[in-house]
Amino acid sequence: MSILEVNNLSKSFGDLQVLKDISFSVDKGQVVSIIGPSGSGKSTLLRCVNQLETADGGEITVDGIKMLTTENGKAVYAPKKTLRDIRLRIGLVFQNFNLFPHKSVMQNIIEAPVHVLKKSKQEAVAYAEELLEKMGLTGKEKSYPCELSGGQQQRVSIARALALKPEILFFDEPTSALDPELTGEILKIIKELAKERMTMVIVTHEMEFARDVSNHVIFMDGGFIVEEGDPSKLFGDTQNERTKQFLSRYKGTN
Amino acid sequence: MKTDDMLNVAKILLEYLPNTLKLFFFTLLFSIPLGVLVTGLKRCRFKPISWLTNLYILVMRGTPLMLQIVAVYYAIPMIVKGAKDSVAANGGEIGGFIQFLDDCMHSESYMFVALIVAFSLNYAAYFAEIFRGGLEAIPVGQYEAASMLGMTKTQTFFRIIMPQVVKRVIPATANEVIVLVKDTSLATIIAYAEIMLKAKQMMNTYSSIMPLFIAGIFYFVLNAVVTAVFMLIEKHYNYYH
Ligand SMILES: Nc1ncnc2c1ncn2[C@@H]1O[C@H](COP(=O)(O)OP(=O)(O)OP(=O)(O)O)[C@@H](O)[C@H]1O
Ligand SMILES: [Mg+2]
Repeated sequence: MSILEVNNLSKSFGDLQVLKDISFSVDKGQVVSIIGPSGSGKSTLLRCVNQLETADGGEITVDGIKMLTTENGKAVYAPKKTLRDIRLRIGLVFQNFNLFPHKSVMQNIIEAPVHVLKKSKQEAVAYAEELLEKMGLTGKEKSYPCELSGGQQQRVSIARALALKPEILFFDEPTSALDPELTGEILKIIKELAKERMTMVIVTHEMEFARDVSNHVIFMDGGFIVEEGDPSKLFGDTQNERTKQFLSRYKGTN
Repeated sequence: MKTDDMLNVAKILLEYLPNTLKLFFFTLLFSIPLGVLVTGLKRCRFKPISWLTNLYILVMRGTPLMLQIVAVYYAIPMIVKGAKDSVAANGGEIGGFIQFLDDCMHSESYMFVALIVAFSLNYAAYFAEIFRGGLEAIPVGQYEAASMLGMTKTQTFFRIIMPQVVKRVIPATANEVIVLVKDTSLATIIAYAEIMLKAKQMMNTYSSIMPLFIAGIFYFVLNAVVTAVFMLIEKHYNYYH
């Protein structure tokens, strides 16, 4: 069953068309990696799906709910309330964490459960403790983001996204703001989430990780999906010249 | 000057300290909320409003406060007179706001009211620019993170953005408040009986500049207190960077 379906999505910034006719779908429990050179539109794609950017055309369906449709060539978004509903079913982990600096780790995590989902504080704290344990952050509840390492901050931001129990979790280069020795701890957590059958879409430059963790890979270039498929096939013996060229740059570095 | 005279000067200045403090506190009381309002108006999407706000800020920051005090002090009676005349010419009755201004003008505290109006309008312009700076320094990622968590615009502003803005604007606000302490002396231009006016008068009485120095000590002590208060506030917000 597909939980996210994107059809013919397009998006321009002024004259620059950044997404051209993007179509793909994500099944429940699937881990999809999106790879591609800088400027190919990966972040813009995630941002369109997450309502942080307004698309120009195409269709987006999340968890069976139509978020975006196109009528007579014009993009039509669902009513506000539906959009909010959809938003609560998806989570996004940012490259630079975007934790709330004035709130402690615990406050960051329970902010939305308490004030958006209107859960009791007790319940929210209990679940947050569970998540923190999973993230290896037990004991850091009272710390402030500025007191944590980059890797720890990113783990808090993953816990904050998970606190809303999203159906699907997006990551935009979750490790590229981190020192190389800290990326491992984030990748480990994503792998653990994958084991629990969490549906995830991950934009990454970590090719080895993408091959390792995902069961579907999308290669983007110049606003198009150039190729997509099984990681072993795409990384192993792609027939596409552009993909080959892109991947060859990572040979040796991994 | 003899020590006795100096003590006498200090004693008299102390009597007028409450007037200085009254001007200081009432200006803060009105100019800070007004500054918040002006920040909002400046960011208004309806362009004429934001242009008018810019013009207001330009005038307030671009002309001497001393001039603004005089202008307000004399403008209110002129406006009231003009309004009364035109109402009378049309055979109507004076009421509402004009009546309020008229009453105000003839009250004992008119001078003080005019001062508060001028000071608040002036300081609101400076505060507005400080607050705008603080608001614009908040990374867009904070808004995006809040919106990804399903927070409403109101929740985002009051729970995420405003607390961070407050921390950021404290140093610049402290600066402005320290200037305000000294700027209260500009009220001498319309002979408001505060410390500086009395100091000037006593300079003549004693033919000495000593009263001015003693007044200086008063301002210095007031600002030492202001600085200490802001240090405490900064410390309170020091739990994160
Ligand atoms: N807000 C914006 N306004 C104008 N142009 C933008 C904006 N955001 C992105 N772009 C442009 O869109 C193109 C795609 O950007 P995007 O950030 O989606 O690429 P990316 O694949 O995520 O790259 P990277 O790997 O460097 O993160 C780039 O050419 C970029 O300059
Ligand atoms: Mg990107």
